[in-house]
Amino acid sequence: MAPATWPVTSAVRRVKAGFARLLRVLLTLLSHYRRHPLQTMFLLTGLVTGVALWSAVQVINAHARASYAEADQVLGAQASHWVRARQGQGISVDDYVQLRRQGWRSVYPILEQRLTTAEQGVISLIATDLLVLPADAATGDSGLAEGGWLQLATPPFEVWLPETLAQQLGVESGERLQLSSGRELPPARLFSREQQGLRAFMDIGAALTVLDQSRLSYLVVAELTVEDEARLNADLAELNPDLALVANQQRLDLNELTQSLHTQLSAMSLLSFAVGLFIVFNAVRFALTSRRHTLTTLRELGVSQRLLLAAIALETLVMSLVGTAGGLALGYGLSLLLLPSVAATLQNLYGAVLDHNLLLQPQTLIQAWLLTLAGLLLALAWPLWRLARQSIQSQRDEPADWQQDARARRRLLGFSMILAVLAVLLYFRLNSIVMGFTVLALILFAGAGLLPWSVALVLQGIQRVLPASAWRLNWACGDGLAQLGTLRTALMALLLALTANFGVDSLVDSFRTSLSDWLQQRLAADLFVQSDTLDIDALLAEPGDWLVESHRRNGLTVRWQDRPTQIRGLNTETSDTRALPLAAESDRASDWFDGAPDVIFANEQARYLAGIELGDRVQLPVEGQTVSFEVVGFYHDYGNPTYQFYLPHERVEALWSTAGEQGLGLWLSDDADALARAEAALTRAGARPGDWTRRDDVLAISLRVFDRTFAMTAAINALTFTVAGIALLASLLAIHQQRLPSYAHWRSMGVSGPEWLLIVGLPLGIGLLVTWLLSIPLGTLLAGLLIYDLNVLSFGWTMPLIWRFEPALTLFWLTLAVAGFTFAISALQVRLRLPQALKHLGEDAA
Amino acid sequence: MRGSLPIVAWLSAVALVSPVLAESDSDAGSALDIMRASGEGYRTALPGQPIGFPQDHLAHPDYRIEWWYLTANLIDTEGQPYGVHWTLFRTALRPVDSVVGWWRSNQMWMAHSAVHTPTGHHYEERFARGGIGQAGVGLAEAGQFNAWLDDWQLLGTSDAPVPGHLSTTVNGLAIELDWQADQPWVLHGDNGFSQKSGQGQGSYYYSQPRLQITGELTIDGTAVPVSGEGWLDREWSSQPLARDQQGWDWFSLQFDDGTSLMAFHLRQKDAEPYVRGTWIDADGQSRSLNEGDLVIEPLEWGEVVVDPGEGTRKSLPLRWRIELPSQNARWTVRARQADSWLATLVPYWEGPVRVEGSSGGVGYLEMTGY
Repeated sequence: MAPATWPVTSAVRRVKAGFARLLRVLLTLLSHYRRHPLQTMFLLTGLVTGVALWSAVQVINAHARASYAEADQVLGAQASHWVRARQGQGISVDDYVQLRRQGWRSVYPILEQRLTTAEQGVISLIATDLLVLPADAATGDSGLAEGGWLQLATPPFEVWLPETLAQQLGVESGERLQLSSGRELPPARLFSREQQGLRAFMDIGAALTVLDQSRLSYLVVAELTVEDEARLNADLAELNPDLALVANQQRLDLNELTQSLHTQLSAMSLLSFAVGLFIVFNAVRFALTSRRHTLTTLRELGVSQRLLLAAIALETLVMSLVGTAGGLALGYGLSLLLLPSVAATLQNLYGAVLDHNLLLQPQTLIQAWLLTLAGLLLALAWPLWRLARQSIQSQRDEPADWQQDARARRRLLGFSMILAVLAVLLYFRLNSIVMGFTVLALILFAGAGLLPWSVALVLQGIQRVLPASAWRLNWACGDGLAQLGTLRTALMALLLALTANFGVDSLVDSFRTSLSDWLQQRLAADLFVQSDTLDIDALLAEPGDWLVESHRRNGLTVRWQDRPTQIRGLNTETSDTRALPLAAESDRASDWFDGAPDVIFANEQARYLAGIELGDRVQLPVEGQTVSFEVVGFYHDYGNPTYQFYLPHERVEALWSTAGEQGLGLWLSDDADALARAEAALTRAGARPGDWTRRDDVLAISLRVFDRTFAMTAAINALTFTVAGIALLASLLAIHQQRLPSYAHWRSMGVSGPEWLLIVGLPLGIGLLVTWLLSIPLGTLLAGLLIYDLNVLSFGWTMPLIWRFEPALTLFWLTLAVAGFTFAISALQVRLRLPQALKHLGEDAA
Repeated sequence: MRGSLPIVAWLSAVALVSPVLAESDSDAGSALDIMRASGEGYRTALPGQPIGFPQDHLAHPDYRIEWWYLTANLIDTEGQPYGVHWTLFRTALRPVDSVVGWWRSNQMWMAHSAVHTPTGHHYEERFARGGIGQAGVGLAEAGQFNAWLDDWQLLGTSDAPVPGHLSTTVNGLAIELDWQADQPWVLHGDNGFSQKSGQGQGSYYYSQPRLQITGELTIDGTAVPVSGEGWLDREWSSQPLARDQQGWDWFSLQFDDGTSLMAFHLRQKDAEPYVRGTWIDADGQSRSLNEGDLVIEPLEWGEVVVDPGEGTRKSLPLRWRIELPSQNARWTVRARQADSWLATLVPYWEGPVRVEGSSGGVGYLEMTGY
C-alpha cells in the first residue's frame, strides 16, 4: 500500500502548493483594485456600461424575434389562417356566426382599427370575443378568468391599455380617451393581454358598439388540418364567394422584413460596447502603470512567467464575470426602457406586435460573457502579458512616458491609415448591410486612431508659434502633450460618441425633411376618406360645388418574390398623379400616364431590395396566371416595408376582380363652408365620423409616427454619449490623482490657482475642440454612408443628405457642458486633496 | 339533479365576473356566496304563476338564469352502458329595462356536452354571447323548437322540445339522438314553482322524465347505435339559493317498473339538509314530496380524480340511500363511474347511476359545492 500512495500524495501536495502560489499571486494582483477603488470603479464602469448597452439591444432583438415566432398567434390563440374579404371590406357578423353554426369553432372574430385621438395621437385597437377564443392548449385557459370579462363586455365597457401606451397617451386608469371623430372610448384599465403589444384591447361587441361599426376586420382560424382547409374553403365559397382563406405567413415575413432593422440595432449596440471598451483600456493603462513595480517585484521574488500568466488569466476571468453580471443587470433594465420605442418602431413599420414580458435568454448571457471576455483579453490581458514577459531589467529601464507616447501616437496613426485604406477598398465592394457596418466601423476607428496625432499636431503647432514670453501657454501646451497619453483614450471614446451622434442626427434630419417634403407633395387632397360603409358612387354622383376634384384608388395585396406586395390602382388624370415625383424613369414613363397596358411603376423598395431595374419586366400573379409588365419608373415610398406597384385604376379593376377600394382623396373648393358641406355629403353617402381625415392631420400624424419611430435612435445615442462622458470623467480623475504630487510641487513653486486652471484646462480644451472638429467630417461621412448605402440596402429608401451645422453646434455645447462638469468635479477633488499632498511633499523633503 | 344546474350557471356567471373567485381554491363555496345575493333588478320566481306551453319552453331573459338539460342512460347493441348529458345555460349579465339585441345583448350562453362510454368520461364546454345568433333558444324557420350554441343543437319536431333531436359533439366524438315521450310534462313543487329553501327562494321547474331515445354515437370514426331512456329538465329563476345553503345533490331516477323520482338534497349550514322531490307514477301522474316524505343520506364516500394532469382528487359521496317512508320504499343509488368530474369553468360532478332496492333502475346524479 505505502509505495503506491506515495506518488499520489506528493502529486496532490504539489498541486495544492501550486494552487496556493497561484492564489497568492492572484490576490497580490487583485489587491491593487482594493487599494485603488476609483480605478476599479472605472474599469468596471467601462465593462458594465459597454455590456449593458450591447446586452440591452440583444435582449430586445431576441425578444422581438421570439415575438415574430408568435406571429402565428393572435392574442394568445393560434392563428394558422385568416378569413378575409377579398376586397378588404371586412366580414359581416352574420357570415361569421354562420361559420360557427356550421361547426367552425376554431374561427374567431377580430376587429382591428387605427384610431386617432383628439390630440392627434395614433392608437391601434384590437378587439375580439374572449368567449370564443380557443382555449390555451396547455392551460385550458381561454382568457375568460383573466382581467374581468364582465366589465370588459358590458356597459360602460372597458378599454385595456398596456401601461406604456397609457403613459404615452397620458391616460390614467378610469379615464376616457377622446377620439378625433368626437367619440369617446370606454374607461381605460391599465392591463394587457398576451400578444396585445402596444395596442388597445376591447371586447369586440363593445368596440363595434362604441365605434358604431357593423363589420369585423377579419376572422382568425386556429389550427387547420389539410382536410379541414379544403372543407373550409368549400364552405366559404358557398357562404360568400367574397371571403377567402389566407395562410398566415406573418412569421416568415416579419423575420425577413425586420432583419435590417435588427442588424442596425446590433451595430449601434456594438459601437456602445466599443466606447465602453475605451474606458476599460483607459482604466487598464492606469492599473498597469500602478502595477508595473508589483509585477517586477513578483518576478524578482521568483514567480514564474507561467504562474504570472495563469494569475492574469484568472484576473481576466474574474473581471469578465463581474463585468458581465453587472452589465446584464443594467442591460436588462435598459432594455425595459428602450423596449417601448423599439416596439413602436416595429409596430409602425411592420405591424409586428411585441409583448411586454422581456426574457433574458441563456444564449444572451453566454454571448455577453464571451464578448466581455474577448474585450477584456484585448484591453487588459495583452498589455499585462507583455509587461510580464519583459525581462526584469528592461522594466527597470522603462523609457520615459512621453517617449513611449509619441511612439504610440505614430503607431496609432499608421493603424488608422491602414483602417482607412481597408474601408475604401471594402466600400467599393459594398453589397450587404453587415459589410456596410464593417466599413462604418473601420471609418470610425480610423478616425479615432487619427485623433491623438491630430491633437499633438495642434499642440505642437501652437507651441511653435507662441513667443517665448508666453511661458504659461507654452507650459500648458507642453503639459498637454505630456498628458495626452493618459487622456487620448477618453478623447477617442468621445470622438466615437460625437461622430455617431452627429452622423445619426444628420440621417434622421435628412430623413425627416425628405419624408415631410414627400408627404406634402403626395398628400395633395384636402380630405382623405377610408370607409367600409361609404357609397363612393353616390357621393361622387351628388352634385356639389364644394368638390373640385376626387381621386379614388383601388388595390390589393399579392405575393411577389415570396413577399407581400401591394398593387395600387391610381387615377392617371388627377393632379396628384400628374405631379407624381419619380426617383427614376425611362423613356416610356409617359406611356404609363397614357394608360398603356404593359407598363408599371414600382416603388424604390422593389428596385433596391428585389433588384429590378428600369426596363426590366415583372411578372405579377393575376388570378392563377401571371401578367408581365415593363418597369418604366420608380417612386419614393418612405416608411413602407413592402414592395408596391402602381397601375392605372382601370387596369387594376380589369385584371383583379378582387381589388378593393383603397381610399378616396377629395379636393375642396375655396368656399368657407366647403369642409362642412363635404362632411355633410360624406355622412349622407354612408361614411361615419372618423372615416375621413383632413390633410394637415394626416401630415401631423405621419410625422408623429416618424418621431416616435426614431425616438429609440436618439435614446441609444444619448446613452453612448453618457458612456463617453463617464470615460472622460474617469480619465480626468485618474490623471489628477496620479499628478497630485506634481500639483503639490507646482503649488510649492508658487503656481496660483488660476494659473493651474490654465495649464491643466487649456490643453484639455484644445483636445476637446480638435475632437469635436474631427467629429464633423467623420459624422458627415457616417451620415453619407448611412443614407446613400446602408439605408438603401436595408430599406430600399433613397433620399438626399441634408447637411446642417446646428446638430454639430448642439453637440459642441453638450461636449462643453460634459467636459466642464467633469473638469469641475476633478478640479474639486484636486482642491480637496492638495493640502494632504503638500503635507506629503513636506514629509518627503524632510 | 337539475338543481345543481343553478349552481353551475350561477357559478359561471360569477366566475366571469370575478377573476378572484375563478382562481379561488374553493370555487363552489366562494361562488355560493354570490348565489345568495338577491336577484334585484330581475324578475322573481314566485308561486302561483301558471306555466304554459309552448311559450315557457322558450327563454325567459328577464330572469337571471335558465337551462335546458338533457340526460340519458343508453346501451349499445351489446348491452354496454353509455351516458350522455347536454345542457344549454342562459345567464343575464345585468338587469336591463328592455331586452336589447345585437352586440348590446345582456345575455350570455354556456353549454356542456358530456359522454360516459364503457371506457371513460369525456366532456366539452362552450360559451357564446347572446344577440348575434351564435347561441339561443327560439323557433326555427319551420316553427320548431330550437336551442343551439355554435353547431350543437337541440331541435324539436314541433314548437316543443319533445319529440326532438340532439346533435352535439364532445371533442370530436359525435352524438346524434332522437326522442319521443308518452308521458305528459311534470310540473314540480307547487304547479311548477319549486321551492329551494325555507326562506322562499325557488325556481320554475318542469321535466319530461321518460324520453325514449334512439340514436348513434360516433367514436373514433366508428358508429355505435344506442338506445335507452332520457330525462329533459327546464328551470329558470333569479335567485334560487338561500344564504345558508352550501351546495346540493340532485337525483333523477327512472325505475324499471315505469315510475320515476326527482329528488334534491340541499346542504345547509347549521341546519338539516333541505330535501324535496317529486314522485311520478308510471302513467305520468306526479306528487310532490315534502319534508318528512323523503329521506336522502350519503352511504359511502369515494375518491374522485378532479384534475387528471395534476392527479388531484376529491372525496365525494358515491353511494346514497333514498327512502320514501310513506311508500315503504328504499333504494341504494350508486355512481356507475367515480370519475365523472367536469373540470369546467365551474367544476361539478355529473354522471349516470344504478339503482337497487325496492325496484331496480337507472338515473343521473349531480353533486356540486364540494
